[in-house]
Amino acid sequence: MLKHTMLFLGYELRSTLRNPIWPLFGVLQPVLYLLLFAPLLANTGAVGASQAEALEAFTPGVMMMVALFGSLFVGFGMIYELREGYLERLAVSQVWRPAIVLGRTLRDVVQLIVQALLVVGLAALMGMRADPIGLLLMLLLMAVVGMLASGLSYGMALAVRDENGMSQIMQFFAMPLILLTGILLPMSLAPQWMQTVALFNPLYHAVEAGRALFAGDLGDGSIPLAFGLTLVLAVLALTWSVRSMRRLAG
Amino acid sequence: MIVDARGLKKSFKTRARRGQRGHQIVEAVKGIDLTIGEGEIFACLGPNGAGKTTTVRMLATLIEPTEGTATVAGHDVRAEPAKVRRRIGYVGQAGGVDENATGRAGIVLAARIAGMTRHEADKRAAELLAAFSLAEVADRPVRTLSGGQKRRIALAIGLVNEPPLLFLDEPTTGLDPQNRANLWDEVRALRERGTSVLLTTHYLDEADALCDRLAIIDHGLVVAEGTPAELKKQVAGDVVTLRLADGAAGRATDLLGAQEYVKEVRPEDGVLRAYLDDGEHRLPHLLRALEEHGIAIRSIALDRATLDDVFLRHTGRSLRDAA
Repeated sequence: MLKHTMLFLGYELRSTLRNPIWPLFGVLQPVLYLLLFAPLLANTGAVGASQAEALEAFTPGVMMMVALFGSLFVGFGMIYELREGYLERLAVSQVWRPAIVLGRTLRDVVQLIVQALLVVGLAALMGMRADPIGLLLMLLLMAVVGMLASGLSYGMALAVRDENGMSQIMQFFAMPLILLTGILLPMSLAPQWMQTVALFNPLYHAVEAGRALFAGDLGDGSIPLAFGLTLVLAVLALTWSVRSMRRLAG
Repeated sequence: MIVDARGLKKSFKTRARRGQRGHQIVEAVKGIDLTIGEGEIFACLGPNGAGKTTTVRMLATLIEPTEGTATVAGHDVRAEPAKVRRRIGYVGQAGGVDENATGRAGIVLAARIAGMTRHEADKRAAELLAAFSLAEVADRPVRTLSGGQKRRIALAIGLVNEPPLLFLDEPTTGLDPQNRANLWDEVRALRERGTSVLLTTHYLDEADALCDRLAIIDHGLVVAEGTPAELKKQVAGDVVTLRLADGAAGRATDLLGAQEYVKEVRPEDGVLRAYLDDGEHRLPHLLRALEEHGIAIRSIALDRATLDDVFLRHTGRSLRDAA
């Protein structure tokens, strides 16, 4: 079982490495946010006066963006694979079916960690200083969020089986997720009702936890809350996609 | 017996459409019996939507039969699907090759899934790539290959575990004549190695040229089964196709039907098909009879009877029209 998962992980990683331009392109958007939005944020004075302070507040949000949006769209490839009969062929092989999803999810996680390191590296060059242990924990949290997003994406792909339908659904979710997480602007700027709504958004807690981690407040209550929430949701999402994969055909 | 299927049925629920209440049940396969011997190349011939693919998907453990039983490569498809999968290869209609990876990577992955070590898998991939003349393109992404090359990669992946039984669903659909002929050779080579093959096709010539036995499937049922020669013998060796002057078809049907050497006459939009044996010698008699009765002939052709004539006999329509 584990062996098959690792087989798919290796296979998918090699596929990604053969065409590394796409994941690099994927990290470009967060990078641009960092370059173009962080200075803007610094000038508003909403999160502290200096660029370094603004980056400290903004980078965790950008990293969550990498985790979320890098993984939320991975399912599109799977719809294509369904149509090409690739998954069907795997289904009649001796494969342990969950490995097809799990291997891919792990590949997505590896990819987003690499992307996150690029983002952090850039932020550091721009003057951000983050707590090293906090940073490590942040990467772990990103991995969990990435598993949640890619599990959701694969589950959705196997359920919807149509690119058009799937892109509509994803668009529908993406927008409020960005605004209600405080990725761009801290939720403290929001009216009370939005802050209340945000409390029900698990990713809001993940971003809050990220800020605490970067600031070195390792005892902050948002951290266990974020880990707990995203972990439970990631397990649910993965279970969904794995079960859909088991029922792949008949 | 590599395949022994009894009374296979499959019905699907379609989603409720507007104006209809609840689900609709579609019976794709209505009760199919199939037996395929070891080493045999067996074809399911029929028009699109006849239930061929559904039958193959049941036998390959992709979907579960609604009713009936099937033993494939020694194991029951319902009770022991994992054991069946170990002993079959399956090449679906779409090919099922990951287009973004290289052919070699695809074969190696399939080999590892089948339980080979990295070393064994590499060796097996090299073997298959050489056997299918793919060595030169082995390390290019599959999406850059031609249709024929892709199909050969799919075939190589299907054979990776040296299965005693290989399923080929519409193996040559979309291939040009040259690649079709090549693929037929590959399939014949499988027979030499003792691999049994179950293929589906809606090409008459493919079933005729390739298979040892075939079943003609229409509307989810087997309407005829046997070797191509046996089936064709049921209709007759030859067929005379006549195009007659307007209004003469009725009289000609009666006239030809009365000739003792004509086995069967079938009027079919605008033409008359008369089935008979030993056509070369009987044709002059037939012409004379028509002439004596003053029936004018616009055109006439003598052909060997084909599987289409068999299909026509059993279903009342031509396979060319049925699709």
